[in-house]
Parts: sequence; C-alpha cells; structure tokens
Amino acid sequence: MNDWTTSDLVRWDNKIIRIAENLGLDWHPIDYEIIDYQEMLGAMAYTGLPTHYRHWSYGKEYERTHTLYNMGQTGLPYEMIINSNPSIAYLMRESALHTHILTMAHCVGHSDFFKNNRMFANTNPNNIINSFKSAAKYVKSLIEDPSIGINKVEKILDAAHSIKYQVPRYPGIKYKSHEERLQVEKELMDSTPDYAPDLEKVPLDPEYNVLQFIADHSIHLKEWERNLILIVEESSKYFIPQALTKIMNEGWACTIHYKIINELNLPDNLHLPFIKLHNQVIRPHLGQLNPYHLGYKLFEKIIEDRGFEEAMILREIHNDITFLRCYLTEEFMRDMNYFSYSFKKSRKSITIDDISDDEGWEKVRDELIKNVGLNRIPVIYVDEIEKNNVLSLVHEYDGRDLDISYAKKVYEYIKILWGDEIKLISVVEDEAWEF
Amino acid sequence: MSVFRKHKSIVDRAASDRHRHKKKIDKAIKESIKDVVAEESIIGQNGKKKIRIPIRGIKEYRFIFGDNENNKSVGSAGDHKIKKGQKIGQKRARLARGQGAGHGSNEKGDEYYDVEVTLEELAEYLFNDLELPDLEKKQFRFISQKSIKRKGYRFKGIRPRLSKKETIKRKIRRRKIAEKIGTYDPDGEERFPFHRDDLKYHHIKPKIKENSSAVIFFLMDVSGSMSQDRKYLARSFFFLLYQFLNHKYERVEVVFISHSTEANRVDEDDFFKVATHGGTIISSCLNLELEVIEKEFHPNSWNIYTFYCGDGENWTSDNEKSLDLFKKVKDLSQLTGYCEINESYKGLSDEINDDDELGVSSWATFSAWKNEEMENLWAKLNPLCDNKFKKVMVGDTEHIWTAFTAFFGGKVINE
Repeated sequence: MNDWTTSDLVRWDNKIIRIAENLGLDWHPIDYEIIDYQEMLGAMAYTGLPTHYRHWSYGKEYERTHTLYNMGQTGLPYEMIINSNPSIAYLMRESALHTHILTMAHCVGHSDFFKNNRMFANTNPNNIINSFKSAAKYVKSLIEDPSIGINKVEKILDAAHSIKYQVPRYPGIKYKSHEERLQVEKELMDSTPDYAPDLEKVPLDPEYNVLQFIADHSIHLKEWERNLILIVEESSKYFIPQALTKIMNEGWACTIHYKIINELNLPDNLHLPFIKLHNQVIRPHLGQLNPYHLGYKLFEKIIEDRGFEEAMILREIHNDITFLRCYLTEEFMRDMNYFSYSFKKSRKSITIDDISDDEGWEKVRDELIKNVGLNRIPVIYVDEIEKNNVLSLVHEYDGRDLDISYAKKVYEYIKILWGDEIKLISVVEDEAWEF
Repeated sequence: MSVFRKHKSIVDRAASDRHRHKKKIDKAIKESIKDVVAEESIIGQNGKKKIRIPIRGIKEYRFIFGDNENNKSVGSAGDHKIKKGQKIGQKRARLARGQGAGHGSNEKGDEYYDVEVTLEELAEYLFNDLELPDLEKKQFRFISQKSIKRKGYRFKGIRPRLSKKETIKRKIRRRKIAEKIGTYDPDGEERFPFHRDDLKYHHIKPKIKENSSAVIFFLMDVSGSMSQDRKYLARSFFFLLYQFLNHKYERVEVVFISHSTEANRVDEDDFFKVATHGGTIISSCLNLELEVIEKEFHPNSWNIYTFYCGDGENWTSDNEKSLDLFKKVKDLSQLTGYCEINESYKGLSDEINDDDELGVSSWATFSAWKNEEMENLWAKLNPLCDNKFKKVMVGDTEHIWTAFTAFFGGKVINE
C-alpha cells in the first residue's frame, strides 16, 4: 500500500540534512520511529514520551484523540517529536511519502528550536528519557505495592495534576528551601541596616511553585506521596518551555520545512500534495488562533523584512510572549483580521469586543497575548502558612475571574495534598472572594 | 544521518490507562442509570428499544478562567467582515480556543459521552456481576440452552457480518464533520471514500440460558399513604428486578398484585397508576399470591420470586398474620424481597437501627393516616431474614441500585 520504503526515507533524509546544514541549523540527531496508527495514538496520549508514567488521564487522552480522528479530523498525527538528545520523532506507517518528507523537515526545525531556544536551556535533553523512565518505574512500584495500590496512587496523582501548572513560569528560577531563603534574608539584613523582614513567615516571599512547596512543607504526607508530587513537578518543568514557545516553535518548524522542501526540487507528484498539506497545516482557523498559522506568518514577515539571519537570532532569544509583543504590528493584525470576543452575561451571547482597526488593534493584541500559552492559566501562589497549619493561597488577579466550579474542585484536591485546612483568596465579580 | 527504526511493539502501552479510564466511565454510567431506569415502562418493552444515557466525562480539574467578560478570546476572522459588538454565538456553542499549553486540556468543556444502548445491552452491562441466589434444583430446569444472538457492533469482524447500515452511518457522520471543519468540499470533484475505520461488524454472542422459567410476583401497597413519588421509586425498583430476572431466565412471567385492605391482581398499567384509598393489610396480597401459586405456578417447575414494596406500615392486628404468610411465601420462593420506601432513609451509611422507630416517626407526618393501630413491620421481619429473605430500604432514587445489589449477591458497585 505504501508508496515508499525505508531506503526512500533514508535518501530524502540525507538531502534534508544537507540543506538544513547549509541553512546553518544546529539540531540534535533524530531517531525516527516508524509506527502504526494505534501506536501513534499511544505516543500522542503520552505527549510522545516513550517512558511516561501511567495514569488514567492518558487513557482518556487516547480515546479522545481516537474519537477526533474517527470523526473526520483526518491527517491528525503529522508530527510528534520529543525534546531529547537524540530527538525521538514518529512517522506513521500509513502515511504517504510526501507526508514523511514534510514531517522530517519539520522535525529538523523543532529539534533545532529545542537545542537553541534559551527557554530550553535547563531541560536536560540527554537525560530526559531516563528520568521519565525511573519516574514511571517508581509509580509502577507503588501501584504494585500491596500496602499502597492504584487507588491511593491515583488519589495523589489526580490531586497533583490539578495544580501541575502552578509552577514557576520561566526556566531558571531555582526553588529555594526555607533555610536557603532565610540565609539570603539574613545576609541582606546584615548589608542593609533598615531592612527588617518578618522572619517568622513561611514562605518568606510568595512561592509560585505550589507543588514543591506542598511537598516540602506538608506535615502529613508520606514519603512516597511526597515523591509522587515531585515527579509531577519534575515533568511539568519539562513541558513548561514547550508551552512557552508553542507559537514560535511551530512557526519555526513550518518555516524550516517550507524552506527545505522548496530546495529539495521535489517532482510534481510529491510537490503538489506537499503544497496542499502545507497549506492545510498553516491555514487560519476561523474564530481561533492556529499557532502554526500565526507563528509561520510572523516568521515569514520577519524573514521578508529583515532576512533569515535575524530570524535565526530571534528563535534563540524569544518566547511567545516577548515575540508577539515585538512583532505583532498593526499591519499584521489587520492582515490576519484578528478580533477579540467574550461571553456577555447580559446579552446571553458571545459578542465581538474589538477588531483590528485603528483604535482596536492594540487591545486585540493585548488580549491575544493574554491568551498565549501559560497566560491562559491563572497564577496561584502560596502566601503563608497561617495559624493551625492553614495554607493560605492567593490567586494573582489580573481582571479575569476564576471559574468557580473548577476552582472548588481544585481546592478540594489541594486539601488532600496539604492534609490540613487551606484557604484560597481571589476576586470574583469585582469582590474579594475566599474559599 | 538520522536513524530509522521500524519497531513492532508487543504491548499496547496505553491499554492499562484506557482500561482504568473505562472503569471510571463505567462507574459514571452506573451512577446515571438510576435516572434512566425510572423512566422506562417495566415490561412490554422489547429488548431492542434504545435508551440514550448521557454520561458526564471524567474531568480533570485545574485552575482555569471562567466565562466572564474580562476573559476574552482572540481569533482570526479570515476574509469575513466583522464589526464591534456583533453577536457571534450562544453560550453553548462557545467557540473553542485554538492553541493550548501543549495540550488542549486546560479548557473547561462539558465532556459528555452519549451512550446509546438497548435494554438488552443495558441489562447485560448492569447485571453481569450479579448472581442469582443459589438455587435449589427445579424439576425442569436441568438443561441449559445455548443460542447465538446478534449483539451490538464491533470494529473488527469477518466480512459476512459487515453491517452496511452502521458503516454508512459512520461514513456520513465523518463526512459531515469534515465539511464542517473544512477538510472536505461537498461541491468539489473529489469523492469522499470509505475509511477503514468506518467499517462496523455485527457482533454475535453465544447466550447460555437456563432452560427454565421464573415467575415474579410484584406486590405493592397502593393505599392512600403511597404517594406518586413513592410509587415512582417502587416502579424503578421493580423495573430493575424485572430486567435482571428476564436477563437470567429463558421465560419470565410477571404477576402484579396491588393491595390496600384487600388485594387485586392487576395489569401493569393499573398497578402503577391506580390509587386507592383505605388502610393497609399486607396479608391480603400474600394470601392472593399463595392462591395464584397454587393454581398456576407449581413451585417444582417455576422459580418463584416475590418482591414487596410498601411504606412499611401495616395494621397492627394484621402483623402476626402477615409474618406467618411471609414465611410461607419465603419457603416457596427462590428469593423474597421486602422493600420499604421511606423518605427519611438517607442511605446505607446510616446504620439502620432496628429498634429505632424510624418508620413510625416518618409516618407521623402523614397525618391523614395517622392511626394508633398502624405499626411498622421493618423490625418484626428480622427473624425471617437470611439469604432467601432480604429487606432493603429506599429513600431516594440513588438508593435503588444499592438496594437492588443487596438482593442479589450483595455486591455493591463502588469501584
């Protein structure tokens, strides 16, 4: 059925590599796993990681993807690549040759991005597969431990997953234990005469790494429970840089695959289906933000205006937020016809707030940035451990209210982890709100 | 040079997590079934009737922003002309936001699984874990029969069992969605071919049934104190019992006997709809049942099941007689169930205290029938209780399933 053999892939891969090297790209070598559709669904469910620990939510993800695929979102799994060294990527056995060529060129773009973008500086690609593997082994051993078992493990994982994004949002912020912080404060006090912080307070400053804080300071957690929480925290750290750069990363990979393929001089029977596929990937989605589209168009504009060299520098230093702030121009916003919308309670309908015209484009841009990656996730920090071991958490309010029904559930989850009463402070409909 | 590996994995690594997820869904289904069973008419439904059960997906909760006005979304309008203040949809049809933090799982969304099952499938689903009480051998129930029945559809199968109807349905569904999301143009030249995943096959399953018959006696108090709400509960309960026994036996006869001060054999409609007034004499219906058994259903060839539903109140003068008759009925039946409908009952977690005048105190609220001569039967039935005589209390639809499982094997689904 296939129109290709492995030696075809090797042949095209060699050409792709040569072109990519000439472009000046620098990427981890790539291992391609040729798998079937079922395995692809499996790989996708675990975000590509071949050694991820097990949890029912990945089973759910599998079923969800499967349903979507069955329901007509054909061609769903084009590419899946892991930030490791060597990078692991998947090619689906059922796909046609032009899809593979596009996927391979696209993966080179991703791997180059992983290796060079500074958000990924601390991700430790040499070890990631092994560290996930030992985490998976540990989880398995707990599940099989007759005194623990799957129900108890799930209880902790369910709860920890509910706050898995409540970790620092930028790489390089090192978690400091209370003792280390005390040390810092004391040194500051010595050097600054008027400085008098409250040294009784725990944490001394707001702590954004809620997971690690709970693991460190809960007085009820058992050793294995603590370890599970830290496993979740560790895997979040791996995903955060990807969430921070989704638009750039996809945009860069699309830019690279397009550039490479144009230089490949594909015969028509491969080139035409390639163009079709490429356009499908980067088409705008009506009423939504397609990160492939936005990222690709931005890089296209940058290369047009400033050249490829400049783009190479930008792919190193930016993340989505800074990238969009710098390069979402009025002209670009107008071209893309971006608009902002929200649900109006009073009118019981979704209404357009602003469009990209003279007066509205900046507002739309700001809203767009608010909707990018981790900006879509509310920020929660640990304020203080109060009397009677009450953990006080604060939602850093930015004008957007929490979804109360969800927040209540998460509140219960955090209580499970903390083991004592907790408190969550936020703002709802312009009034202070405490759970 | 890159490395290419063709590997054939032996294990399906998502299998155990999918299984775990499915178990959670199963639990959710069982929890929603209580709402469904109460709506179905007890008998006369053939097993093919489809029931739609909406099931809430198992959500993963996170901190997310709500649907408030400050939480705006941004999208591209393509070539469409748009203007400020334009309405673009209703709440339900809220536009999905495009990009995610690696995963789309941060969005709130009502995840509904709509499961459509036939009554037969539902019965199978519900009852597979439950067993009939350990039966003594009946004369004519030695031979069990194996038959093959079509049962549902599967994605895998042999060609002759291909279901054209289901297959084309899936293809149409897929095409409609493809049109909607724009990957297929209905006016274009291109045809929309079948996909391997469209194919569905009839599934067949051997069915082993005891070649035997059962008769179920549904006895219910229809006196004035049995309000519509109480009957509704009784009805849901009877429905489950009927479906279960029908599932396990080749042939099931049902006898409905309603009673107030006297008993009548009635049909299903009257059983649930007709309300009578007057007091309560439980022995009347037990007498009638014994008569009917005598005439029509010889215990040697029939498996007899008796289920009584009432509010637990009986005229004091009748209590002793009722207990006697219950004992007789118990001796003739495979299983006798006694169900008290009592709104003050809050569930199994409340220890049922037999000495507590639970029924009596709730009875006091029904002032119309407040009567010194009434007495609750619950505690008095204790000496009868063993694995052939079981009593349960139901206060709300949510107790029905637990009560039901208490009758049969007592396995309570809580996993």
